[in-house]
Amino acid sequence: MRWLVLLLFSALALAQPLPGNEPPPDLSPRVFEIAAKLRCPVCQGESIAESNAAISQESRRQIAEMLAAGKSEQEILDYFVARYGEWILYAPPKKGVNWLLWFAPALGVLIIALALWRYLVEARRREALLGIDDKTLEEIERRLEEE
Amino acid sequence: MTPGFLGNWSLVFAFLFTVIGLGLAIGAWWAKDARYIVAGRRAAALAFVATLVAFGALEWALLTDDFSIIYTAMNHSTKSPTWVKFATLWAALQGSILLWALFQSLFTYLASRKLRDYWMSPAVLGTLFLIQTFFFVVLLFITNPFLPVPNPPADGPGPNPLLQNHWMMAVHPVLMYLGFVGMSVPFAYAVAAMISRRYQTWVATTRWWTLTAWGFLTAAILAGGWWSYEVLGWGGYWAWDPVENASFIPWLLATAFVHTALVQERRGFLKTWNFAYITLAFAATILGTFLTRSGVIQSVHAFSEGAVGPTFLGFLLLVLAVGFGLLARVGSEIRDIGSMGLVSREGLLLGSSVVFATMAFVVVLGTLFPLVVEAVSGDQVSVGAPFFNFSFAPLAVVMLLLMGAGPLLPWGRLDDYSRRALVVMLAVLAAGTLAGLVIGWTFGVSLTVGLFAYNVVALYYQVARRVAVWRKKSEGWGSAFAAYLQHSRRSAGGLLVHFGVVLAALAIAFSQAYRVDAQKTLRVGEQATIAGVPVKLLDLKAYDQRYRFAVEAPVEIDGLGVARPQLRYYPTSRTPLAGPSVRYTLFKDYYLILQAFDRQNGEWATIRLVITPMVFWLWVAGVITLVGVLMIVLPGGLPKPKEAEVGVVT
Repeated sequence: MRWLVLLLFSALALAQPLPGNEPPPDLSPRVFEIAAKLRCPVCQGESIAESNAAISQESRRQIAEMLAAGKSEQEILDYFVARYGEWILYAPPKKGVNWLLWFAPALGVLIIALALWRYLVEARRREALLGIDDKTLEEIERRLEEE
Repeated sequence: MTPGFLGNWSLVFAFLFTVIGLGLAIGAWWAKDARYIVAGRRAAALAFVATLVAFGALEWALLTDDFSIIYTAMNHSTKSPTWVKFATLWAALQGSILLWALFQSLFTYLASRKLRDYWMSPAVLGTLFLIQTFFFVVLLFITNPFLPVPNPPADGPGPNPLLQNHWMMAVHPVLMYLGFVGMSVPFAYAVAAMISRRYQTWVATTRWWTLTAWGFLTAAILAGGWWSYEVLGWGGYWAWDPVENASFIPWLLATAFVHTALVQERRGFLKTWNFAYITLAFAATILGTFLTRSGVIQSVHAFSEGAVGPTFLGFLLLVLAVGFGLLARVGSEIRDIGSMGLVSREGLLLGSSVVFATMAFVVVLGTLFPLVVEAVSGDQVSVGAPFFNFSFAPLAVVMLLLMGAGPLLPWGRLDDYSRRALVVMLAVLAAGTLAGLVIGWTFGVSLTVGLFAYNVVALYYQVARRVAVWRKKSEGWGSAFAAYLQHSRRSAGGLLVHFGVVLAALAIAFSQAYRVDAQKTLRVGEQATIAGVPVKLLDLKAYDQRYRFAVEAPVEIDGLGVARPQLRYYPTSRTPLAGPSVRYTLFKDYYLILQAFDRQNGEWATIRLVITPMVFWLWVAGVITLVGVLMIVLPGGLPKPKEAEVGVVT
């Protein structure tokens, strides 16, 4: 009786139930490591390792099968890229405009540090200017008035 | 009287009091008369009371199942437990904005009570009232939760199931809004300082408000991390999701400000930088709301989309225009003068500011890059954890290095005591890293262990130096330490925050590097090992909990008792939600997820086991950090003695 209720309920709740009532395959840690690099196509910003959506469970099964068939990590990632496009990768491929992204952190440090360095140099230069003796200051003022 | 009637009218009154307050602030500026400020304070109090009544009205509707207003009709269910009903107020857009407006009016009132500077007060109050006006305009004209529903339904769908899944959801958004709203006061002070041309004194007052907001943001980020950990069902606490990033950006900028503010207070440097940091930090709180509420970005945390996107974008641009418009004038008027050595406390504080600003830049860039690329070329890219981890790791190392040495060095120079300490610290860093490598940890983890030891030694030297001074005046080391805590509570709090962050870094390094994740199907009664851990599936049970239906698979973990992972079916959700079960131990968390089960005969269940080391210490680190923040921001305590009075140990 309990399982009848459960069956009815899950039939209602699962719009796309997994085919049949087969248990999903056992998955090794390696599967999840690879799955974490792939984006779940139907979720709101979760990886295939994180999401429990049907498509993610299916993708994890595929990864396990490909690993069992002796495929390398790169081959598996390529398979998903061929199927969904490069959007599926959480690490944008290092090419084209994406180089902008990968170099940006280094560029950011440089720009901010340079801005700070320039600021300090200027502040010191002004201090040095202030440090000039009164005679020179009077001379400057006199010349300014003459102009 | 109905909740809808009460709510609508109290919002109207709150709006009116806010506009009156704005008028009074302008009057105070115009007439240079402090009586306007006193009246403005009363307007702020009245606006807060009116908003509190509106908040009460919405709770009234939720707790009495009144479906005659749009918010309850769309987001409430009679079947929810009482705490969910109460927290439903901030489970969707309109209610969240109401909560935000409530906190904004509270902070406006609190800030109005702490005004000290007659020149700046009108502009501080005016800016806060202006921000508050924005929220009431949004509430009244765009997302009014009290709009009447012509044919009230008998029951509603209830809030998003993910939000009903954990009690933390009642806490996390509240803390987050307190943190966001808290940043409005520093912004108001920055604007006021720039308008009234008082560029130096605002920093000390603002640092207190910023630290308070920083504490709320820290607590909120931790609570969110814990919620993700216990609810999202994959055993992680941080995923570089756009919404997580949106809360992280103001946190980073506030952190940068807290450090450069010290430099300005002491040496008068970086006046323009501090204005920029505060403007950006406040703008970042609005940016986050815009990104998550407008639907431009996909996120697992974006629970309340709505028509407020363009309004928030407009407000964001206004904030940036005001902040940087005024800053342009400041930049043309003042030039800081002086020189500083980089190997000194101020030099390292500046270094930390570069690190935090770069971190904020990286998070903004990584979050917005996909949007920009799609807008320009139409291509879709994803930027996720691999990019952020790659860019944050080196920045974090530099941060941890600066963090140990910074507070140790005296202002302006390097003395013998800190030079000796630095030598020992660097030796400990090298020894710790080497020991880690010998044990066989990854380079990143070993380096973090070394940096942890380096920072602990640094803390020892800093505290020892101060306690030694008190030792001369007191009975023993114990009372010397107590005297130190009494007289230097704030700087001790700062050191405690640093220790919390270092501990968090250690926990993050281990949990990221040594997480193991595996999945296995077990028959009921079967004993097996998952990822090397012996487990036994005891049973498979189903519960009808009225507002949801739960399937539970009790699993006995060798030596750790029984974990009870669940799958939960909500009427409004097409797919079941995971109800993970975590067995916390000091050094390893065992995280179980029920992945699938035999729907016909109840004979097997598929269990996913995630083993993550050191996660427990992340939460400990969070608590330590918050205690440190409290030590800094709480009022009272004995004054800090002048160095000349007690002498310095060298």
